[in-house]
Amino acid sequence: MAWRRLIITLAIIAPVLWLFAFGFQRDSHYIKSPLLAKQASPFTVTLFDGRKVTLNDFRGKAVFLNFWSSWCPPCREEARDLETAWQRVKDKNMVFLGVALQDTDKDSRAFLQEFGITYPNGKDESGKISVDYGTWGIPESFFIDPQGRITYKHVGGIRAAMVTAKLEEASRGIVSAAEGQGDYQSIR
Amino acid sequence: MFATLITILFLVIAHPVHAADAPDLEDQTRAIASELRCVVCQNLSVADSPSDTAKEMRAIVREQVAAGKSPQEIKDYFVSKYGEWVLLAPTTKGFSLLAWVVPFVVLIAGLALGLIFLRGWTKRKKPDDTKMVDAALLARVRKEAAAAEDLSLDLEDSSERATLLQERARFYADLKELDFDYQAGKLSEADYSALRSEIETKAATVLEQLDRIAKSVPHKKPAEKPPAQPQPQTTGDKARPRVRGWQLAVGGAFLLVFGVTVGVLLTTSLRSRDAGQGSITGDFLTGTDAPGGRGNEVASVLQEGKAAFSKQDWQKAIESFKKVLAMDPNQPEAHAYMGAILLQAGHADGALMAFDKALSLNPNFPMALWGKGMALYQGKKDFAGARQAFEKLLQMLPPGQDRAEVEKIVAEIPQSGQKPKQVAEATPAPTPANAADQISGKITIDPKLKDKVDGQAVLFIIARSSGAGGAPTAVKKIDGPVFPLAYSIGSENSMMQGVPLSGKLNIIVRLDKDGNPMTHQSGDMTGDYKKNPVAVGAHNVDIVIDQLAQ
Repeated sequence: MAWRRLIITLAIIAPVLWLFAFGFQRDSHYIKSPLLAKQASPFTVTLFDGRKVTLNDFRGKAVFLNFWSSWCPPCREEARDLETAWQRVKDKNMVFLGVALQDTDKDSRAFLQEFGITYPNGKDESGKISVDYGTWGIPESFFIDPQGRITYKHVGGIRAAMVTAKLEEASRGIVSAAEGQGDYQSIR
Repeated sequence: MFATLITILFLVIAHPVHAADAPDLEDQTRAIASELRCVVCQNLSVADSPSDTAKEMRAIVREQVAAGKSPQEIKDYFVSKYGEWVLLAPTTKGFSLLAWVVPFVVLIAGLALGLIFLRGWTKRKKPDDTKMVDAALLARVRKEAAAAEDLSLDLEDSSERATLLQERARFYADLKELDFDYQAGKLSEADYSALRSEIETKAATVLEQLDRIAKSVPHKKPAEKPPAQPQPQTTGDKARPRVRGWQLAVGGAFLLVFGVTVGVLLTTSLRSRDAGQGSITGDFLTGTDAPGGRGNEVASVLQEGKAAFSKQDWQKAIESFKKVLAMDPNQPEAHAYMGAILLQAGHADGALMAFDKALSLNPNFPMALWGKGMALYQGKKDFAGARQAFEKLLQMLPPGQDRAEVEKIVAEIPQSGQKPKQVAEATPAPTPANAADQISGKITIDPKLKDKVDGQAVLFIIARSSGAGGAPTAVKKIDGPVFPLAYSIGSENSMMQGVPLSGKLNIIVRLDKDGNPMTHQSGDMTGDYKKNPVAVGAHNVDIVIDQLAQ
């Protein structure tokens, strides 16, 4: 009788405890992306220098696509690293493209100037590109292989060494098993 | 005439059609948006959220509705971008089916459990209520009650027998009182009979229990106290007194485990609030400073660091700021001071990284702006960047000596294309490398680790005073090292500018994956000179990188 009571009590409380553990360990803001290993959505973006580029222009090259905003501290933190990584790979068959979102033109340009960013950057005017890539926290970076497939996604700040390593993998078409995570900020 | 008729017809027919279309588009958009979860809110639909992202998502929904896509197609589009998470109501397929089924299963299980317990209770109560009491016992009750005097009982005694005796005395007193009330005409015949019968039954049960106790301890005298039982009023279940002790222990242990688990999970899962978010309560869990809490410790160590910095005791200052950052990695002042120390030592890259970190935490931190400007101006020769940092600083500085100083530097910064005359003057001349204050040798990689070398890793050669531990005396950074590598480290790499290396030093090397000497991560490799310490001026200090951080 006593054993039965104990088992019933545990049977009720154990799932509740498990639920607690699950809830506490989970980052409620985190949204796991279904885009890994999928074809990257095509888009056209107007760069800050007035040129228009489409993702298809980069077919045959490994692409590093970075969503950022000037008001986001982790974006500021990674900016110099991204430029360092770009300087390391710019002579290879690799492309960098930055896309500013939810930002003013003036602030974005000031940001690019402040960190001496030399790779192409444009603005997602309507937010359509960022929704197409399922962004929710910035900075968010996507690595796309020469065939246009997403090989890796990183939510939050990323270091130069990681960018070059994942670009190397992307150029060889290696898809990562899981997405990466650093310090991030929710978009607005 | 015909044309006028056409126009009128158009206005009458076509206009209402358009008027009806617009709300229909909005209604459809709203209906679909209300089924989608806003990706930056807490449980708000895209339709209800005022966020920019929700607005953008609504615009996409509207666009797709206008393009003739069905609600399911539109929802599928968002699911393909964000996963099923984006649907406010989970689908009825796969794992999500659980979200629909589990509540009903729990409800049914709860009802079933409730029914089982209820039945158990009613079963247990029934025999008590309908219990047929022995007539002889009832007769004994009547006899004893009539003869009962004021029974003096040991009220301190909490044994089962004593409790039963007290109960018996109470029932007898109740019976006497009932008789008195009846005789005084306060009770009807029917009420009197019912109440009397009830009390007599209860008293008879008590007598029965007393008899049972007397039989179970026949060798003891009736007056002797039976062994204390923790549950005096239990009548039926004999097993319960024996198990209650361990049941309580198990319950207690479970509560303890539960408490500890929740406590541990809380502390590990809550993270510090972002800068500027503030806090109503403020404690170590929310990462804000409670009076007398960890914030005070951070402040006092920071103060120590600042004091050491102003005395130019770089080693102590570095130790203090490192300690501050270990306690609070988001302390902008500590980052800024670390940057200033690195700048002093001529490590512009490291300094810039530290100032940027400080500014990412507090974009208007004057010291970090000043340091960033100086690092860009003197270290990196990035005049435009330096000017921008100083100009931002000038916007915040009130008129005074500091402002005048910054204005003077801004005036000195060459315009683009101009030769950096002043910079050459402002930049301290590097100490010429002198073979006598150098330590040199060769760095190789252990063959076992050769495959694990990260091509982008940065090599740090670190010299520390023998036995001192803590902050390095000199550091040399080498980007893109190729092994075997001939190296030398000397006074020009000293952390304290202008202070030559001396005495005995421990030489270690670190192949750092992310190129940030402040962080340690898996994949970083290290090695040290096996005959450490070495005297300044030593040659052939060959080092093998043979340790891999996991």
